[in-house]
Amino acid sequence: MAGRVIVITSGKGGVGKTTTSANIGTALAKAGYKVVLIDTDLGLRNLDLLLGLENRIVYTIVDVIEERCKLKQALVKDKKNPNLSLLAAAQTRDKSAVNAEQLKEICDTLKDENDFVLIDCPAGIEQGFQNAVAGATEAIVVTTPEMSAIRDADRIIGLLEAKEEIKSYKLLLNRVRPSLIKSNDMMSVDDVVEILSCPLIGIIPEDTGIITSTNKGEPIVNDEDALAGKAYRNVAQRILGEEVPFLDLDEPKGFMAKIKNAFAKLKAKV
Amino acid sequence: MEKVLAENGFIIDLSDAKSTTQLVFELSSIMEHPEVKGKNVRLKLGSLDLKQSQLLSIKALIESMEATLAYIDTKSEQTEASAVSLGIIVSEVSEEASVVCSQSDEIKVEPVVVKTEVPDETEEVQGSNEDKTIEVHAEEQTGPIETTDGVEDVYDEESMEELSEIIPAEHFEADFEALAQNEGLIKPEETSKYILLDTGDVLPKDTEENNINTETLPTLYINQTLRSGQTVSYEGNILIIGDAHPGSEIVAGGDITVWGILGGIAHAGNQGNVTSKVRALKLNAIQLRIAGLYARRNDTLNVPYVQKTNEFTPEEAQIEDGKIVIYKKLRRD
Repeated sequence: MAGRVIVITSGKGGVGKTTTSANIGTALAKAGYKVVLIDTDLGLRNLDLLLGLENRIVYTIVDVIEERCKLKQALVKDKKNPNLSLLAAAQTRDKSAVNAEQLKEICDTLKDENDFVLIDCPAGIEQGFQNAVAGATEAIVVTTPEMSAIRDADRIIGLLEAKEEIKSYKLLLNRVRPSLIKSNDMMSVDDVVEILSCPLIGIIPEDTGIITSTNKGEPIVNDEDALAGKAYRNVAQRILGEEVPFLDLDEPKGFMAKIKNAFAKLKAKV
Repeated sequence: MEKVLAENGFIIDLSDAKSTTQLVFELSSIMEHPEVKGKNVRLKLGSLDLKQSQLLSIKALIESMEATLAYIDTKSEQTEASAVSLGIIVSEVSEEASVVCSQSDEIKVEPVVVKTEVPDETEEVQGSNEDKTIEVHAEEQTGPIETTDGVEDVYDEESMEELSEIIPAEHFEADFEALAQNEGLIKPEETSKYILLDTGDVLPKDTEENNINTETLPTLYINQTLRSGQTVSYEGNILIIGDAHPGSEIVAGGDITVWGILGGIAHAGNQGNVTSKVRALKLNAIQLRIAGLYARRNDTLNVPYVQKTNEFTPEEAQIEDGKIVIYKKLRRD
């Protein structure tokens, strides 16, 4: 079996790379595929927190590279889904503890035994990024509809194009707020795609549920009702090659709508 | 009725809110927490003036999350008048709650205080600035210890008779009582607090070199807080005056003592010394490692972070019969 190695990157920090990695990984594993998530953000690891696996980490990627343990020992199995495992980053080291060849070697080993290897890339374009990209053949570029994030995404796409190994790259637009787009306060999805001229793989709406899910260590794809969870499940299906229409985000339902209604009522009465 | 409120209720403190909008935002983010569902909610509204219509919207918001508004606590006359006209009970929340607690003979669940700062609208979704503390006393601590008002007294040189007065005997098993008589310890923590990890490592042999008295080892004294990513390792004992934050790592050949909250990884006796112990004012380590035994914190205890109070009961972890056992310490041996 030769699995696919996908790097999830963005350039800018805070746009949702780690959230995206955790959710796509969980969604693919739920669909029955064997998935390994690799956190390459050495020194600032977060992916374990999002998956609620922090307390299970004994060995990290640095231990594997420095041969203190075998690769298999360092893979932490997800609590719920045995198809999903995590190779955690070291918290007490920095990016220089790993180099690109070593990561490529790990990816090559892992892809033989798994359907998907997802690499969570650190922010920036320095060594951490170069390491993360080394083993990948596909890329997902995460961005938000803000000028700064788009500028950084553009720079990243340029760097990815220069890499021969990266065969395809797709854009994932995160934290979209339909109400702001409607009032012309936020760039629309079409605008972003036009600026970056990059094929789109998903649109994720802003969802307050993400905050709760991050704190609880439970990816939002496990929440059947959340809109963002649904959007991530759709992204996973598109990765698998299915044609899924993009979500209609115009009328947010659920709890956010309730808050907005409460606001509207208050405003009308004050 | 009052007892039901104490056992199945939440106090939400919104007295910091400066505007109605802020209050609604803060409340809605708290109400999103799944534990609020089906509970009685008591609101502390502080001195904010609320009109009848605004209070009604707040009530509707609470009811939309399948919770009920039990009563409110307010310092504002206007809010009080609005509440009275809507038939909402106005009462002093904190006093009520504590009175109810001490009256009931069996406290199953203590009132849980959920306090949340208003998330900034521009804040990043996964930003760590999210200042959200959810403290669930009842699940984490043994009830009787929390509710006695003599926790500090316990450190004094007290006779065991007095000690057993503070902690009702029926809360503990018989064999524990004998242990407490001998060692001045409280019952070992439920073993479920930490779960052993299967790392393939086995407990080192009970040889002489693995049984060195840690008192004979040199001690490294550190007077600062350990932050995420920082590591301290030393061949002897390590004493830290301060907290060890999650993400930090302490590795010692002997004992580890943290005069504060231990939230990171602690590895005592890393050379195989099975007599090593880990102790802290609040033992909340993400992983405890003693000699070759590794244990992870139970998932059900995953609280975002421990709130600092002056009512910590010091805890000590050690190896017993191939397991890591945690004792709550009431007084020095």
